Amino acid sequence: MAKKMKIKAKEKDGVVTVKAMFTSLMADTEQALKNKVEVEYIAHVIGKVNDKVVYEATTSGFMSENPLMKFSFTGAKKGDTLEFTLTDNHGKTQTGSKKIK
Amino acid sequence: MERRKFLNIGLVAVAAAVVPATSLHAVNFRETKAKVWEAEKSSQAIKEMFGEEVFSAPNKLIAVTDKIKMTAPKLAENGGSIPIRLKSDLDIETLAFFQDANPRAATVVFSVPEGQKVDYSFRIKMRLTAYVTVVAKTRDGKLHTLNKEIDVSIGGCGG
Repeated sequence: MAKKMKIKAKEKDGVVTVKAMFTSLMADTEQALKNKVEVEYIAHVIGKVNDKVVYEATTSGFMSENPLMKFSFTGAKKGDTLEFTLTDNHGKTQTGSKKIK
Repeated sequence: MERRKFLNIGLVAVAAAVVPATSLHAVNFRETKAKVWEAEKSSQAIKEMFGEEVFSAPNKLIAVTDKIKMTAPKLAENGGSIPIRLKSDLDIETLAFFQDANPRAATVVFSVPEGQKVDYSFRIKMRLTAYVTVVAKTRDGKLHTLNKEIDVSIGGCGG
């Protein structure tokens, strides 16, 4: 599952705003059957800064294709690295990271 | 002596019960609450997620709130991508999002890290017009909910 992961993270007044886009078909059983593709969706997303969890979501196949997630958090500086770990329904994991601007 | 021993046992038991609750970050709800993802209706999914007594408790654990703001279109032109934004200043521990339009109700469950405010945007799929329900559990154990009907125009025509 070597797919693209787009991450943007910006810090302003102590609040970090993040936009992240992950590549996945997000096809659940019924949709996969209809479109004749394999069942594939992101099941779990976890975002960390300095080994501290800042974002965590358990998702299902009813999120849109190529899910775009926006969120904000506090407690990080410019130059820190934001790291995402995705787990898909087969249990495969993928990581991606970006420096906070 | 007997009494002292008895008290000690009690203390150990309390300590053991508290430990798993405090180390409760990095939860994969797919493993801990597997049944939630099988539920077909929102009410059923909420019961699986937050416990059976949610709807039947005498002092109503669950209450409709206006402290969580949900931004969602009234009329969605594209059922494949409906933007949703959830915002709240409450001290939320778990935030769950359900809809009734798809074969299974559970869509996304956030576990909010301690001290962070909720401001999440994401996009969902809905095949037909239905209600969406948000249930939030605050750190003091209370449940808050709100729902909204989203019209999905089939065929992509928003007229």
